[in-house]
This record gives sequence, C-alpha cells and structure tokens, in this order.
Amino acid sequence: MPELKQNKVGIVSCSGEELAEGTVSRLAALKVLEELRPGETVTICLPLFLAGGEGDRAFARFYPTIAIDGCEKRCAFRATEMFSNTPVMGIVISGLTREQGLERPQGCRKLDETGKKLVEIASIQAAEKVDELLGRRWSRREGVLEPREEDSAQSPKSAPGTEPGQTTCSCGSGIPVLKLKVNAREVEFLALPSIFQNFLENGQPPSPQTLSALMESVKLYTPISSDIEEAARAAVAKAYKAYWDTWQERRG
Amino acid sequence: MPAKKKLILLPCSGVGKPFGTITREAAYQVAQEDRPECTQIVPLSLLVMGDADAKALLMDAEIISLDGCALACASKMAAESGAQVCAAFNAMDVYRAKRQYKPQGISSLNEAGQQLARLLAEQVDAAVDKLTEEGTQDARA
Repeated sequence: MPELKQNKVGIVSCSGEELAEGTVSRLAALKVLEELRPGETVTICLPLFLAGGEGDRAFARFYPTIAIDGCEKRCAFRATEMFSNTPVMGIVISGLTREQGLERPQGCRKLDETGKKLVEIASIQAAEKVDELLGRRWSRREGVLEPREEDSAQSPKSAPGTEPGQTTCSCGSGIPVLKLKVNAREVEFLALPSIFQNFLENGQPPSPQTLSALMESVKLYTPISSDIEEAARAAVAKAYKAYWDTWQERRG
Repeated sequence: MPAKKKLILLPCSGVGKPFGTITREAAYQVAQEDRPECTQIVPLSLLVMGDADAKALLMDAEIISLDGCALACASKMAAESGAQVCAAFNAMDVYRAKRQYKPQGISSLNEAGQQLARLLAEQVDAAVDKLTEEGTQDARA
C-alpha cells in the first residue's frame, strides 16, 4: 500500500459501557482528541465500521491508528484490524492497571481516583505515540508541537483540494475526498486529494503508467465496480492532469 | 411464575459528539438509578466483534436502542446481530423537541446536555415500564 503523508492520527476507543475500564478508555481517547493533541487527532465511532459506509471502513487505511481498549477482549483493536487496517498501537487499560500496580478502577458513570489516574497515563502514552507517528516533538515550554524540519523545507506546495478546508467525506471519518463526475453521476473518491499530493511529490507526471498506479491507490479507498471502471479511470486521469498543471503553474 | 426477562439497553457508543454522551448518560440513569432491577446495558463494541455472549443476551431479551445520530448504529447493530428492537430512541429527537437545551461537551456534558439526558431517560423509563407490564400480562395470560 502506498504511504500517504499524514498529518493526523486516528484514535479508536472501545465503548465498554459496562466496565469502568471502558470509561477510562473512552475518556483517555477524548483527552487526547480534545485537550492533548486536538489538531493532530481524529476519531471514529467503532460501530460505524459495520453500520457505516466505505468511508468509515477506510478510516484506518487512511490514518495511522491507535486503539484504546478497556479489557482483554480488545474490541477496538480487533474491530479496527478486521474492518479497516491494523492499528499501529494498542493500549489495554486492564493491562495498564496491572503494569502500574493499581487497583481496578471503579465507577462506569463517574470514575474514581484510580480511574482518573489511568485516564492520565493512557492519554499521555497515546499522545506521545501521536507525536512519534507525526515525526514531531512536543514543546513542553510552548505547549505546542514543534514543526517538522520537512515542513519548513522547500517542499511542494499543496495542490488544489489538498489545502486546509478541503472537502471531507460525508461519513464521520474526516477523510479528504474529491467528487468527480463519472458517467454523469457525482462519485465521491475517498483520499483522492492525498493520493494526488503523494504522486505530485514523487514527481510522477500524468501518463498511462502513472494512471495505472493511481487507480491502484484509488481502489484501496473507493470500491469501483467494473461497469464504471473505464469512466472512473478517465475522470481520475483528467483530474490528475488538472492537479499536475496547476502545480506546475504555481512552481513557475 | 416465569423469570422476568431483562431489558437490554443499547446506547450509541459515539465519542465524537455530545449526543452520544447523552444516550450513554440516559442509559446509565435508567440501568443504575431508575430501573436497575430489570435493565442492563450491553456495549455496542461487543456486538461489532460478534461476541457470542453478548449476542446470546440479545436473543433472549427485549431491546431498547438509544441512538445519537441519524446513522442509528445501536438500532443497526441490534438488527445485524439478529435481534429485534422493541423501542427505539434518538437523542436528536429529544433535542428537536427541546431546542432551548443546547448540548455541549463530550467527556463532560454541560447542564443542557444533562437535562436532555434526563429527558431521554424518562422516556426510556416509560418504555421499560410499558414493556415490563406487557411482559407481566403475557405471563399471566
């Protein structure tokens, strides 16, 4: 699978309403998402892997993912792996409790002090992994992520549609999408802006070879039935050429 | 007298919006405070993984789903597991009826969100009472 450059990490937590450890996992995930790394993390509700659409199931194929589970059943890790892609890290609260030599947390609805402590530990572990995955260091002094060296270097500017504020999938995953006309019907291509950006940065100009490689990547995220394959291929070719030309113009 | 069937509450497991938290709070209110003797929460994550024990529990119970958005994961997961939902609620409907309560916060709901959770819990309590009453009458018949 081609590696798409990522600036966000997915956090998936177990819902585990019947165990205090489930509440710990959920609150730890939320602490990362809301407080520790709000700009760098996204989440998805676990049942959407089954109840949702293709965009939801593409979540962990698009984002590197950290699973936070309450118990050894590891529903978040296993479901993500089964329906989307293997998470890069799994935190299991029951195991963490033993590692830390703590008593089991109590209070599904309102955590006790042990539960709150576990939320802190798990969220910090997850946040540190986010930094590692994004290749950044957390500035404790400034309270922000330090920029990556490559961000300040002369890297290609974003192509249209890959800039902040771009369209994202209508599912809950937040994956960037590009809508193209295929046989007079609008089709949502998941992750296409990122795929285009990846090909641009690899210096792959529009050509039949590039198009074949592009289509392989496209199909990883968007299922394309054989009856529209030719039309989809033509639409992607046209869109990529427009990206490429715009980028060339910007470079002067 | 036949053993009373437990009612299973299936709250949305959403972690991205306050409405998910509202359904969870309402489910806790019913299962832990209002009707603990006849209700039990089953987490959706177990159903996603097809956990045999959780599925068996659903097969032998009456189910109340509490969804947090239009995607209705709780209702869909019950159907996916082959179970039938007896009463379905959506936190969005409670909000539509009481728009003065604007819920905010996911890990910790604001007062408006807590109010919506209490309203939802009251509706679920009523459904629990109706279903248990019907169950009692069926047992007597």
